[in-house]
Amino acid sequence: MRDSAARDLLQAFLGTIVAVLVYSIAGAGAPVLLIVLNAFSVVVLYFSIRRGEVFGAVLGTMCGLAQDAFSLGVFGVAGLTKTLLGFWTGYISRRIDVAPVTRNALFMLVMAFLETALWVLITAAVRLKAVNLHGGLILLQPVVTAALGGALFALERWARARRSRGA
Amino acid sequence: MPFGEKRRSVLVLAGLTVFHILLISVQMPQGAGKSYFERAVFFLFSPVQRVATGAVRGVGSLWNGYFDLRGVRRENQELKKKNFFLTQDVRFLEDRLRFAESESRLRENLAAFEGSIIAARVIGVDSVNPHQSIVIDKGRLDGVDRDMAVCDRNGALVGRTIAPVGLKEAMVQLVTDKDSSVSVESVVDKLTGSMTGRSTGVCDLRYVLASVDGGREGEELRTTGFDKIYPAGIPVGTIKSLERDEASPIFRRIVVTPYFRFDAIDAVAVLTKGPGGGR
Repeated sequence: MRDSAARDLLQAFLGTIVAVLVYSIAGAGAPVLLIVLNAFSVVVLYFSIRRGEVFGAVLGTMCGLAQDAFSLGVFGVAGLTKTLLGFWTGYISRRIDVAPVTRNALFMLVMAFLETALWVLITAAVRLKAVNLHGGLILLQPVVTAALGGALFALERWARARRSRGA
Repeated sequence: MPFGEKRRSVLVLAGLTVFHILLISVQMPQGAGKSYFERAVFFLFSPVQRVATGAVRGVGSLWNGYFDLRGVRRENQELKKKNFFLTQDVRFLEDRLRFAESESRLRENLAAFEGSIIAARVIGVDSVNPHQSIVIDKGRLDGVDRDMAVCDRNGALVGRTIAPVGLKEAMVQLVTDKDSSVSVESVVDKLTGSMTGRSTGVCDLRYVLASVDGGREGEELRTTGFDKIYPAGIPVGTIKSLERDEASPIFRRIVVTPYFRFDAIDAVAVLTKGPGGGR
């Protein structure tokens, strides 16, 4: 039990490093891309669906805190929203069938949108100021997150099908 | 899901949620100060960012190197020609400057910056809003500390270093951040005010009284040094528009376009000997 918890923590940490890598590469390529691409959300969504709510919550905490550490916002806001995102994504995906591609992408879109909305609400409440929505561009973030998450699952499915055909 | 497992999940969620709420609450009295925990997370993940950015740059420069070589001869000829005219321009401007200011004053200004510039590369941008902050690859080991002015390759103000400053990485608050404030003055009409960001591509020049005349579109703004962070005389940007502020009849509404551009801040200079340096 303790071994599996330690392994989960290590895997969540590795997942966070993957998110930091993707975020850094995107930032190095085009900084403005980071307004619509939240690599941390993509990683949390993808692994929460695969691994369930507890792993999703722990990964969400790590990824959220990493995102906060690289931003001037209040430390912990992204941590909280991503913890909730990871937990509820893992929890709901165990109860409804999210395997079909369209349903999968739609599910991620809804979750990513709720996360963005929660982040905007908490940030506005904590800072007592209106949040900069970049002229509505931030609303594209859930769409891009869902598209990338859906593409990852589609890619995984394609690779698995290819491997089984080869075998 | 068995009852025990469900209870564990709920406990994990509740524990993490309480942890985050406490974390957010603890920061409220601190304001802009960074907690040790936040610094620790930054120190942990910033080397990853450095590696990723280095790899992207490496691949990019390899790719660019190949294509650049193909037109390099023609470009070289053009640059030589351009260089000739630029050298003439510099000589002309130097003469003009000497005329405007005494030579001893000029030397004094230049000496103030001698050996106090640290060249750094930008290895990351703010994860939420790129107009708020960047991360550079120089830290305490290189002599970088909090509240040091940071300029781009053209000498225009980019921002200042803020906590957390790691051993080999540091965070820079950009002048476009909404919590940033720089004391500036327009070069022609001497409008003095505080330039604050909007966390977008433009800034506001605040606290210029409506009764004060002057100021024109395109006029350059430079730092005054009154804020004890940025050295005086650094170009910051130009006035984009001036109008009467309906919301606040006391002050004018002045919008500023900063000089620095994201596509040109891959390399920056940290000024270590400014008024705010070495705190």
